[in-house]
Amino acid sequence: MKGFAAVFISIGLLLLTGCSQEEPAYKVDLDKRKPVIKNEETDVITYAYLPQYSHKESYQRHHLLVEYLRRETGLNIKQIFPDTFDKHMEMVGQGKIDISFSNPFVYVKIAHRYGAMAFARILEANGNPHFRGQIICRADNRDIEALSDCRGKRWIAVDPSSAGGYLFQLGYFISRGIQKEDFIEIAFSPGPGGKQEKVVLSIWAKKYDLGSIREGTLNVIADRIDIGEIRVFAHTPWYPGWTYAARKGLVPETVSKVRQALLQLNYSQSDHRRIMEAADITGIISSKDQDFNPVRELAAQIGMRLEDRPK
Amino acid sequence: MKFGFRSKIYLGMFSLLLLLGLVIIFTVSRIMTNALLEENRNRGISIGTNLAARLIEPVLAIDFFRMKTLLDETVRSGDDISYAFFLDDKNEPLVHTFKGGFPVDLKRANEVEDQEKYRVRLLDTGKERIYDYAVPVLIGNDRLGTTRLGLQRTRVQEAVRRLMWSTFLLTGVVILIAGFFGTVLARTVTRPIKVLHQSAEEALRGNLDAKTAPLLKRNCWEIMQCGKSECPAFGDVRHRCWYLAGTLCPSCVEGEYAKRMESCLHCSVYRKCSGDEIQSLAESFDSMTLSVKSHLLELKNTEKILKEQRQLLKTILDATPDFVSLQDCEYVYQAVNKAFCEIMKRKEEDIIGKTDFDLFLANRAKIHRLEDRKILETGEPLIKRDSFKGPQGRRWIHVVKIPVRDAGGKVVGLLCSSRDITEFKRVQEKLAQSQKMESVGQLVAGVAHEINTPLGIILGYVQLLIEEIEPGTQNYQDLQTVEKQAKICRKIVSDLLRFSRHTESTMKPLDVRESIKEVLAVVEHAYRLDRVSIVRRFAPELPMIVGDKDKIKQAVINLVNNAFDAISGEGVITVGAGYDPTSAEVVITVADTGAGIPPEKIDRIFDPFFTTKPVDKGTGLGLSVTFGIIQEHGGEIEVESPPPRESLAAEGVFSGTLFTIHLPVADQAGKMETEDGKNISSG
Repeated sequence: MKGFAAVFISIGLLLLTGCSQEEPAYKVDLDKRKPVIKNEETDVITYAYLPQYSHKESYQRHHLLVEYLRRETGLNIKQIFPDTFDKHMEMVGQGKIDISFSNPFVYVKIAHRYGAMAFARILEANGNPHFRGQIICRADNRDIEALSDCRGKRWIAVDPSSAGGYLFQLGYFISRGIQKEDFIEIAFSPGPGGKQEKVVLSIWAKKYDLGSIREGTLNVIADRIDIGEIRVFAHTPWYPGWTYAARKGLVPETVSKVRQALLQLNYSQSDHRRIMEAADITGIISSKDQDFNPVRELAAQIGMRLEDRPK
Repeated sequence: MKFGFRSKIYLGMFSLLLLLGLVIIFTVSRIMTNALLEENRNRGISIGTNLAARLIEPVLAIDFFRMKTLLDETVRSGDDISYAFFLDDKNEPLVHTFKGGFPVDLKRANEVEDQEKYRVRLLDTGKERIYDYAVPVLIGNDRLGTTRLGLQRTRVQEAVRRLMWSTFLLTGVVILIAGFFGTVLARTVTRPIKVLHQSAEEALRGNLDAKTAPLLKRNCWEIMQCGKSECPAFGDVRHRCWYLAGTLCPSCVEGEYAKRMESCLHCSVYRKCSGDEIQSLAESFDSMTLSVKSHLLELKNTEKILKEQRQLLKTILDATPDFVSLQDCEYVYQAVNKAFCEIMKRKEEDIIGKTDFDLFLANRAKIHRLEDRKILETGEPLIKRDSFKGPQGRRWIHVVKIPVRDAGGKVVGLLCSSRDITEFKRVQEKLAQSQKMESVGQLVAGVAHEINTPLGIILGYVQLLIEEIEPGTQNYQDLQTVEKQAKICRKIVSDLLRFSRHTESTMKPLDVRESIKEVLAVVEHAYRLDRVSIVRRFAPELPMIVGDKDKIKQAVINLVNNAFDAISGEGVITVGAGYDPTSAEVVITVADTGAGIPPEKIDRIFDPFFTTKPVDKGTGLGLSVTFGIIQEHGGEIEVESPPPRESLAAEGVFSGTLFTIHLPVADQAGKMETEDGKNISSG
């Protein structure tokens, strides 16, 4: 009986001891406060990548390049992330973006509107200094076999300002006698960021019948969907690719340093290749404003006024 | 305090339930608490990770509004989320949800490394405890900053507390329900055990009629529908049939219990009536008490018989005059009879357990021990005569010692039976003396017969000479002396002849008073001259006896003369004659006030030639003659010296001798004559 009571009491004490165990806590005093003050840096050269992808994607593509430029030029270059194409262009005009990496349509707009000046442009992955757009639909969509089948269909494009994602395809449709009115609906990817991917996902999800993307987008999204379910049924003509432009008023010396550093990038060098692969760039060549006249012509063809916001 | 069985069951049951409840409460609460904490932790991690992911875009866009909105929305999404803030890559707060500035202590309260996915730390603000979650905001391997999130622990504690109470209440209810059903179940166990216990106590008190087994719900004769009222199981509502012997079911097998049970296992009665172990125990107990009762009854009867036999044996042993004793192999007395105790002058309990060395003198004990040892060793019995000196003189005993053997023939004790043969030896010696005296008598009779004739001639010639000689002369006187002595000789010879040779008796009815009166008339005058008076005590009426008057007179005169001779000087002789109706005898008494007879001589006074008188005063044949006459008449003669007080009270003297003669009255004597006439008429 005594043994039983002893065991009972022991277990009880053990339980009580077990119950009373307390996790250690770190003491903090929440009453000690101070305001948050953000000190703005003054000598920053801002670098912005036209937000055709998410900021994260943009960062991942270009932060190594920005670091390279910072290292090579000795300038305090920082990448900033405008939310939309318009914001990007607006910030160029406002002087908040010193170095703009944008598509040729945006460039011709900021050149026309804010006096920006191209000083370099990239080679595409295939080594070509030009790029083009693609018109896609679901692989199993038997309603669209030829371009003319696009009439009466719903079209999703990247952005009204997107060259490879809308404007190239629009010019291509018009040149083939298909007007904007021939489509039941022309929709654009909801922002911000990731717009090219959203077009592909919308087609994949059968929300729209056809979509317009920049060539190379399918490879970007290949890890998220089976791109075999997407069929490219038309390509636009080639246009000059993405360009580096300096805002109006940027110190020429700075532009020169940046241009020089960019032109020094060599894909065959392993350290440069890592930077260039991240940015999906195979090479950078020198460029000037006249290289973008074909784009200006396309803009005229589609009725886009460079000083206006695209409709 | 001693608990009863029921209390122990209840205590044990409730203790176990309580213990179980505590263990369950502890375990469940621990598990649930850990689960809640883990869930809370995972929730915090999830919110923090999600927030970190969602903050990437506004951080990159340096969109403070969106960052602030995200943080505020996160805090508002849960009541228990205290705060959220973002630290930039320099670990400086960029956006937060605090009002009135950022608490600087929080900045370094929970630092997470780049390679860590998150870190959780419990913070104590003094008012509450908060789990702080730190999640790095990363793009690839590049760190943009750190998201921090604070979740109140109070909510978890409250949930744990509610959980504890719920578990506690639930456990309590379960214990109560289990306790209730346990009590009901325990009662089915404890109640029969209590009944069993009470029955056992009753059995201990001697009541073996207690009924322990419960009433059966179904009885075998109802199941079998046999109607065999002569079966022992029929009508027994408490005992199942397989516990009873001699059942009459056709399927029942007689014999050992195990063998019977083998057949019972297949019986429908067994399948329908077999109860649990406690019922079996109760029925076994009842069977056992019945068996014990039966055995006790037999035992009591046996004990009674044994007691009676023992008493009978003791009575026999105590009644026997022999001294009986039983000793074991260690010579210790185990049993003795009454005679043994009396001769040892000890109580039985003072002898039992003792040895000879405790009871006898050392020399005698040693002799006994040697004899006993020899008997025990050889197994040979011992028969001997032994003597010892007691207060009444030397006593003779006849001893028989025999070994006592057990069933296997082994000697386990010694039985000794001794008999006092002193009297026997005395009678034996007396017989030898009588035989000797008979031989002497015959010799004397022959001599007397031969002497009688010449003595008669001598006396005749002396009397002739006296007639011829002138009186007064010397020769005349001498002849008278010769005549006198010759007459004495003739009397001696006559007595010898009377003693040694039975003369013809003339048996007739007579009144002894007449015979006595005639005798006393002759001697009274002469005695009176010597101042010895005679007192007569005759009964007024006396029955007649059958006898020879002369011989009766001879017997009386011998006794009266003896009485006279015993009195030296003045004295009284009391002669009585009476009747004892109880024995139908005439009693003649002769008492004197003389010197009496010494005790050592009183046994010999009837012997021939035994006398205490001077040589010239008696021949020693008077009492022997008297003894012979009385025996011839079928009577008895007794002597007492001194006489009993009551017989002498009238005379006022307390010495002397009393002779008492018992003679059968006429009817007895006639009868005796008819049956035993040979003795009377023999010469």
